[in-house]
This record gives sequence, structure tokens and C-alpha cells, in this order.
Amino acid sequence: MKKLSTYAVVAPFAIVLAFPFYWMLVTMFKTNLDQSNIQNNPYVYNPVRWEFWRSATTSHVAFVFNDTNYPTWLANTVIVGAVVVGITLLVALPAGYALARLSGGWGQSVGVGIFLVYLIPPTLLFLPLSRIVTKLHMKDTLWSLILVYPSFTIPFATWLLMGFFKTIPQELEDAALVDGCSRLRALWRIVFPISLPGILTVVIFAFSLCVNEFIYAFTFISSSTHRTVSAGIPNDLIVGDVFHWQSIMAATLIPSIPLALLYNSFLDRFIKGFTGGAFR
Amino acid sequence: MEGQDEPEVQGSTLTRRDLLRRGTAGAFAVSMFGGLADKAMGFAGPLKYKNKHLKGDLHILQWAHFVPDYDKWFDGVWTKQWGQKNDVNVTVDHINLALLFSTASSEVAAQSGHDLFQFLSPPSSFQKQVLPLNDIVQEVTNKLGPQTDVGYRSTYNPKTKKYFGFADNYVPDPIHYRRSLWFNAGIAPNTWDHVRQAAAKLKAAGHPIGLGMSNELDSNMFLNSLLYCYGASLQDANGNPAINSKGTIEALKVMADIFKNGETDEVFAWTAASNNQGFLAGRLALVVNAISIARTAEGLGNTALSDDTWLAPIPRGPAARLGNEHVMGVYVIWKFGKNPDAAKKFVIDQQLAYAQHFANSKYYNFPAWTGAIKGGFKTIHRLAAQDKHKPLGKYTTLTTIAEKYTTNVGHPGFANAAIDEIFSTFLVPQMFAQVAQGKMSPQDAARSAQGQFKTIFAKWKAQGLL
Repeated sequence: MKKLSTYAVVAPFAIVLAFPFYWMLVTMFKTNLDQSNIQNNPYVYNPVRWEFWRSATTSHVAFVFNDTNYPTWLANTVIVGAVVVGITLLVALPAGYALARLSGGWGQSVGVGIFLVYLIPPTLLFLPLSRIVTKLHMKDTLWSLILVYPSFTIPFATWLLMGFFKTIPQELEDAALVDGCSRLRALWRIVFPISLPGILTVVIFAFSLCVNEFIYAFTFISSSTHRTVSAGIPNDLIVGDVFHWQSIMAATLIPSIPLALLYNSFLDRFIKGFTGGAFR
Repeated sequence: MEGQDEPEVQGSTLTRRDLLRRGTAGAFAVSMFGGLADKAMGFAGPLKYKNKHLKGDLHILQWAHFVPDYDKWFDGVWTKQWGQKNDVNVTVDHINLALLFSTASSEVAAQSGHDLFQFLSPPSSFQKQVLPLNDIVQEVTNKLGPQTDVGYRSTYNPKTKKYFGFADNYVPDPIHYRRSLWFNAGIAPNTWDHVRQAAAKLKAAGHPIGLGMSNELDSNMFLNSLLYCYGASLQDANGNPAINSKGTIEALKVMADIFKNGETDEVFAWTAASNNQGFLAGRLALVVNAISIARTAEGLGNTALSDDTWLAPIPRGPAARLGNEHVMGVYVIWKFGKNPDAAKKFVIDQQLAYAQHFANSKYYNFPAWTGAIKGGFKTIHRLAAQDKHKPLGKYTTLTTIAEKYTTNVGHPGFANAAIDEIFSTFLVPQMFAQVAQGKMSPQDAARSAQGQFKTIFAKWKAQGLL
């Protein structure tokens, strides 16, 4: 009975949240005539029949892969995401630990200060940053994004990890130090393994930001072959004032599936990561 | 036959002494006057830009054209052939039209970017960042005859006496209407009064009017056009703000009436694509838009809709039948551009060969110099008449619109920096929306807009651009 009531509560939420994915899935295989006719039922393929695939088409999906640089955008997104996640961890892990353990009283204030940096909107920053990117001759290269994205992933990750490190008892590290570990070794062998939920949260968060970010991806990259998914889709699949809806849906659904799977695989740890520092 | 062979016999008698004498004289002439050669040929064109002179890269940025095949042809054929001919490596980046201004701002901030940047409305507010292009406008005019008035007034600043941009093309802005729906309503959309009368009937039949009042390009263009039809304008011919007029008040009243009886609230939140989508979904009875709607309907294979989609010039108002171009393709060359010579040569050659661009854009892009198409509007009309889509000959009306009923943003003056700011901050759609939503009276809205305009004009006058 308890299980049933749980499902009764969860089911409506699940349906509402899954609906956009269903919409995208249906739309990406619709024919032009089906898509543009307002009399048609938008949730199914028209004309409606049991062999529904006869009313659908794969031509728009094929268009995305064969007639645009979509595979390259996907590859660029993965490359930028992976490198930015690496840089973020490299900087935020020691920074978060230092602010949590070594900074004394002012660590908290510095942590909040770093978090505030994250809140500066990219629309304000893109003009000065574009000067920096140009000076460094990085315009229209993936390096420009690899340079700029850590400017907002590192502050958030540092703040998040700082809270997480505070939940780990100091005694564990003290015991390791007494047993002859150096601080670095204690970090590597004791602190980081315990902090895995926090680290995973940072990985997923930083990667998601890289996939979703638009302003920098659009402003710093001008050639289609160097674009990431977030800039390539709205730029190349909206021509003039005409939207290629089916292709847009296909192009957005495809990268969202692995991201959704990734979130779900680590859901428990992800929640732990976000709430880890909440009670300290 | 003997007589024909004679010159060859004579030629063969050239002695070594003759050869040396002529060679010396030739070498002397070249050494003395050779430097003048390119100046002498400058107006003629070809020798002014020798291949050697133009080597390097040319980076072009322009919108992702609504006719995808045009971009394919432009990138894959036109620019490649031009590049090979001129020893220049041409690359073209295409972006969504809504992002042109933010990208331009970014390039200006970084003082780095493309060698050629194409805007879709006159970019007067960027005047201080671009090279004056009087020389190439003159060169093209010498070859093709006078520039269209819409091109001239969109790119020339009479105060500085400089062309801040090169008008490449303009796009006529017809109305698209569903012929069967209007037939059933018993009215044809010839005048704004007709539209006003039919609005309620069409909405009741489930097919509202699709005239936007939102912060987007199509609403902006159309509402400026409506002002002209009622004898109003943003400025007078001398470049002074003139929005607070009887014509403006009348246009505001008419639009509020059309909205009240024949539209829905969605028109306040439209994007540039919304009227396309509404019309293509079979819902809207009338929209003002370039032919992207008619062409997309044909492309969808929805013949019931495309055959019923008729084109016509903007409805006549009590003062005029006049509308803005839908988009105005203007190239600028940034001061910080790295290859201005190649950029200049490119836009000249493109205009000289614009017949190809007109055809490949499916009659969307009209050349800024009508003379670019041999025979001018007569030829354009003939080409448009050859289109096989029903109703046959529907695209011929574009010629009439382009020739008689199209003007520039900023009419009856020039597209100056103040007009650009008013246009890009969407003050006109906001003024109309305030009245249509009942938040302001037409009189108050016109007076308030006049106050805003005065501030903007004063700012640009202080900068010496007006």
C-alpha cells in the first residue's frame, strides 16, 4: 500500500518531466506535412495507423548527421567538457580543501566571495573576455572556451567542495598524519575517496554547464566546424526566420539522453554531493 | 590567300637591330610611365586589383539565409570561384540573424573579427568603427548606373558625406494572405481600412490577423511601414524626430482596432519566426513578411496552403502605399579588418554579378543596384513570372513592390544612427503595444515616444553623426 501511494505521488511528476522528451522523440520523426498541419494530433504520427512508422520519416535525423556539422559539434562538446572538468577539478579540489581546513576564520568569507564571482552574468563578461581571447589569439578555437569556462565552473565547484570537505571529520586526517602520512597522501588516500559524491557532483555540474552554455560558445566561435552543440543547433538549424523543428528536436534529444543516463546512474551520490555541506 | 599571308612574311623580317631598338624604347616607356598604368585603369576596374595585390584571407560573416541552397551555392561555388580568380582564401561564417548585433558588438569590443560583416538593417550606430566606402560605391555606380534610393538612404550619411556601408541587397516585404479566407470574408486586403473591416470576421472564422507588436525584426519593419501609410514617420526629411504627429495617432488607433477585433495576445510575445509558423500552420489570415513563408509552404509540399497563399503589396493607407524593405543587406568593413582591399573587391564583384545571387536566392535578394540585372526591373519581372508555383505569376508582384512601394528605415530621411538605435531598441513596437493593450492613449504614446526620440537624436548629434 505504501509503495502504491509512493508511485501515485511520483507518477504525475515523472510524466510531466518525461513529457518534453516524448515530444522531442515524436517530433523528430514527423513529416513536414504532419508537422505543419494544425488540424493534426501533435502527439502521434499522422495519418494515425497501427503501423505508425509508415506515417513517420527519418529524413530529418539523416539531415542532421549528413548535411550539418552535427557530429563535429558533438565531438567538440565532449572535448571541451572533458578538459574543463579536468581543469576545474585540478583547481577546485585543493582550493576547496584549503578554504575548509587551512584558512582559519576568513576561509568562510573567501568561500562566499568566490561564490559571488560565479553570480556575475556572462552577458556582462563576454565583452571584456572577448578582448582577452583575441589578445591570446584564441578566437574561433576551442581553446577560447577551455580558457573561459573554468571562470564560472571553478568558483562554484570550490564553494561546493569546501562545504563538502567540512563534513569530513578532521580526526580522520589527524589519524593519518599521526600514522606517518604526509598531508598530500592523507588527501589522496583518505579525504578524496570519502569526497567522491562531491567530486562526482562537480564533474556532472561542470560538464552540464559546458554542454548548455550559449553566449561564450556563440561569441567566441564563428565557424560552424568549431562550434559546440549549444551554439551549433540554434545557429545552423534556424535559417532566417524558418525553424527546422524536426531536426532541432533530433539534435537536442540525442545529447540529452547520455546526460540523463549519467545523472540517473549517480543520482544518490549527486544528492549527497549537493547536500553534503548543508548541515555544517 | 596570298594577301592574307603577307603580314606574316613582313613580321619575319624583324632584324636584331629592330628588336633591340623597340625593346629599349619599350623598357624606357615602362620605366617612366608604368606606375601610372594601374591609376589609368583604376576606373575600369580589372587592373586595379591585380591578383598579387589581393593575396591572403578574406573572412566573411553573414546571416544563415532562409534559402539553404543559397548559402550552399554562396559558400561552395561563388566564393570559391571568386577566391581562385583573385588568389584569396575566402571563408564564410553564417549566423542566426537575431545574433548579428551582439556578434558585431563583440567584434568591435575585441577590435578583431571578420573582414566583411553583413548586417540585415542599416548599421548606422557602428559608423565610427567602419571604413568609408565612397570609392567602391562610386566604382559600382560608374558601371551599373545609379544605386536604388533604398540602398543609398540606408548607407549614406549626409552629415559626414560618407558611405558607412555597402548596400548589397534588399528584400521586398509583401503581405501574404489566404485568398480563400478573404474571399469568404467578402473583402480583399487592398487598404488598411479593408484589413480593419475584415479582422473581426476572420478572427471569428478561426483565422486571426498576424501583425506583430513585439520586440523583433518583423514587427519593427511592419509597424514603421504602417506609420508611413498614415503619413507618419520617426523623423522628418532633415533628420529631426517627428513621431508625435496626427498620422502616428491615427496609425496607433487603427492598429489597436485591428488587434482588438482581429488578433490574439500572442502578437506581443512573437519572435521573427512566429508569423511564419502561424501562417504555415494554416491559422493566420494575413501577415507581412518576405517570401520565406510562401517558399516554405511550397517546400513543405502543402499545396493546399501554398496555392491559397497570395502575395500583394502592403495595403494602402490614407496617405500612402509604402513599406520598409523586409531586410536590407549591408556589408561593412571594420577599421580593424585585415584585408580591406580583398573585401572591397569582393563586394564590387558580387554586385556586378548579382543576377546569379537573385536567381540562387529564389528571388529573395534584390540587388541594391537594379542595373546589376541586365534589363532592370523588366528582366526581374520576366524572371519572376517564370516561377511555376500556383497561383502562376504570384512572385511578379515583388517587382512592383521593389520598384514603387519600398523605402528605407528612417524614411523620409536617411537611416542614421538615431534611427538605428530606435530600431534596435524596439521603441516603435513598444509604443504600439502600449496603446493596443490599453496602457496608454494614442496621444500619450506618441508624446512619450517623441520625448525618448529627442534624447536619442541629441546623443547622436553630440557625437557628430547627425
